[in-house]
Amino acid sequence: MNINIDNSNGVTTANLEGRLDTPASTEVAPCFEQLKEAAGGTVVLDCSKLSYISSSGLRLFLALRKETSVKGGKVIVRNISDNIRQVFMMTGFLNMFEIQ
Amino acid sequence: MNNTTDRSEKKILGMSIGAGLLLVIVAIATLEATGILQYVYTQRAIKKEATERAESELRGVNHRIMDVVNQAEGAVINNMWVAQWCLDNTDNLKLVPQRVLEVNPSVVGSTIALMPGYSKQHPLYAPYATRDIETGEIKNLSLATEEYDYPSQEWFVMPQTVQDGYWSEPYFDEGGGNMMMSTFAMPVKDSKDNIAAVFTADISLDWLAELMENSKPYPNAFCAVTSRNGQLMVCTDSARFMADTAGDASMLRYSAPVKRTGWTLTITIPEDDILAGVRHVGLMVKILQILGIIMIIIILRVIAKNQIKYKNLSAQKEVMQNELRIGHDIQMSMIPKTFPAFPKRTDIDIAACIIPTKEVGGDLYDFYIRDEKLFFCIGDVSGKGVPAALVMTVTQSLFRATSGRESSPAKIVSAMNDSMSEKNENSMFVTFFCGVLDLLTGQLRYCNAGHNPPVLIANNPQSDNQQTTVTPLSVQSNVPLGIVPAFAFKEQQITLNYDDSLFLYTDGITEAENAALDQFGEDRMMAPFHKKHDASGYLDAIRTAVTDFVVDAPQSDDLTVFVIHFLAQVDSIKQERHLILHNDIQQIPQLADFMETISNEKQLSQNDTMSLNLALEEAVTNIILYAYPKGADGLVDIEAVLREHSIEFIITDSGVPFDPTTVPEIDVTLPAEERSIGGLGIYLVRQIMDSVHYQRLDNKNILTMLKNV
Repeated sequence: MNINIDNSNGVTTANLEGRLDTPASTEVAPCFEQLKEAAGGTVVLDCSKLSYISSSGLRLFLALRKETSVKGGKVIVRNISDNIRQVFMMTGFLNMFEIQ
Repeated sequence: MNNTTDRSEKKILGMSIGAGLLLVIVAIATLEATGILQYVYTQRAIKKEATERAESELRGVNHRIMDVVNQAEGAVINNMWVAQWCLDNTDNLKLVPQRVLEVNPSVVGSTIALMPGYSKQHPLYAPYATRDIETGEIKNLSLATEEYDYPSQEWFVMPQTVQDGYWSEPYFDEGGGNMMMSTFAMPVKDSKDNIAAVFTADISLDWLAELMENSKPYPNAFCAVTSRNGQLMVCTDSARFMADTAGDASMLRYSAPVKRTGWTLTITIPEDDILAGVRHVGLMVKILQILGIIMIIIILRVIAKNQIKYKNLSAQKEVMQNELRIGHDIQMSMIPKTFPAFPKRTDIDIAACIIPTKEVGGDLYDFYIRDEKLFFCIGDVSGKGVPAALVMTVTQSLFRATSGRESSPAKIVSAMNDSMSEKNENSMFVTFFCGVLDLLTGQLRYCNAGHNPPVLIANNPQSDNQQTTVTPLSVQSNVPLGIVPAFAFKEQQITLNYDDSLFLYTDGITEAENAALDQFGEDRMMAPFHKKHDASGYLDAIRTAVTDFVVDAPQSDDLTVFVIHFLAQVDSIKQERHLILHNDIQQIPQLADFMETISNEKQLSQNDTMSLNLALEEAVTNIILYAYPKGADGLVDIEAVLREHSIEFIITDSGVPFDPTTVPEIDVTLPAEERSIGGLGIYLVRQIMDSVHYQRLDNKNILTMLKNV
């Protein structure tokens, strides 16, 4: 699991790559802490290379989303696969994020 | 209830206490009235008899008196002509009284007293003859003495006045006989029809006393003769005669006049004397009556007591029957009776019923689904009534308790048998059949404890006309429950196919008798199963068959029928895969490889693979994070069962008991700000899998999840 964070034009973009399962979520938790610092602005989670997500990964997404609510920013989830879209649908996450 | 009891207690022979008392009173009154009536009539008859006796005595006495009276009168009248003839010759005249005495022994004295001055020689002349009582010698005396002054005597005056014969008042003669006397006096007329003298004859009344004494009709009666003036002449008991007053009702008085003399005869009888007999009889009757009444009361009391005892018994019986009815209702309420039993399931259809006799029975059946397995049983307790009913409830409770932790029918039956034979002092036993049907596979494991073999109704897919193959299930009979402790029950197994049915019953069916005492039997029982029905259809068919056979004959035993219709499209196992993980979160990626293998074998879509991976990861993560204490080593056993149309994961751990299926649902419609962080994992498992079951068995958590693919 890899996350590359890119900051340009006031938009923080995180490129997620690989399987965001439970151990991976623990692994990438610091990255998400880093993203929370940019929660006052726009945070883009690019999921084009994310092949799998479990509830622990979803929790990271949710925590970030809550942070933007506090700081007045927003989270954009971009390029999710059909499989992950289905998980988002099941869990109500589709309505919580701006999906592109 | 108590009211009726009280009411019935107060009844004797169907009557109320009041009516019973009335009966006693009427009986007593009737007896009493009979007694009184008898007494009155007897008294009347006895009084009549007494009257007759008294009157007869009076007549007798009267006759005797008249004899004497007639003699005296006769003596005077017969010698009248002699007296008239001798009037002028006083010497001859004095011989007349003497002659009267000589001829008439009843006459004790006689005189012919001349009217004063009638004789020239004797201014007063009254020759008197008297009889000496002791010697009988006749003495000639004269009454013409100065002291006596006969012309003023009643006997001399009255005949002249009445111009006829006259009986004097009785008097005590001191001179002559020293006795009570009465005198008949008659005027003697001369040739010129003038009264020249008075001719008398005296009679003693002493004999009257004796006569009276002999004429007493009753010992305490007394007789009396009274004169014209009411003077007592003779009386057998003068003191009582004097004391007797007309108003005294206790005395009965009878009287008769003595002709010509002016005397009256009286017999006085004390009523006590007359009625002594009848009163004696009356007393005896009364004593007997009282004894009779006492007897009646005693008998009624005894009857009443018995009646009350009987009533109490029947009241108790009613209470008992009521309790039996309640017992029966409770019993029946323990048995699943709502059909269809599993309306949401398409893989199983059940119909069952107990047709009970009037009392509580010893038949039972039960079924329920646990872990996609149908646990079912049927049983028949030996004997009838309350003991059987109690054993039945115990049996059913044991089945529920035992089958909750055991899935092997032999283990269930063995455990039940051990419990039941442990304290079976009454030697009650239960024939019992227990089955566990795996609804996913059709595998039926069963164990029989001496019960009638169930009937297998196999669907024949090749048959166009809905024919079935009906055979008794092959069973080892083993022994009934409760007889041999620690008996090693043998378990058997077959596989049911789609649309097969199993018919279970108790011997109330096969032993149902018609009026001719023929038994219904197994052949008649199996006949309706040759045509295909659903579960309730089989039940109706067998009930109709039994009813048509038995008609009106009374049912002697509980009838229980129980039909299981298996409708699952059996998904046979293709493959099984096994994975064991340590409770280390770093092992989670192994699940992806495990799923990859399965996916390849089952040729699953990428979507299904990911979903199953996700569900599996969430379930396993939960165990790894929470089942074991921190730092303790533990295992997670994952078994994947791959079938034609489904994949099943059986995840087992030895950690602390935890049932994830009880975790509350999260609300996924809430906005992000209100969403909680937890609960997503279990939620996803539920969303992805088609069924999720948890059980705690042998200190293990077993989570079974199935997804149709």
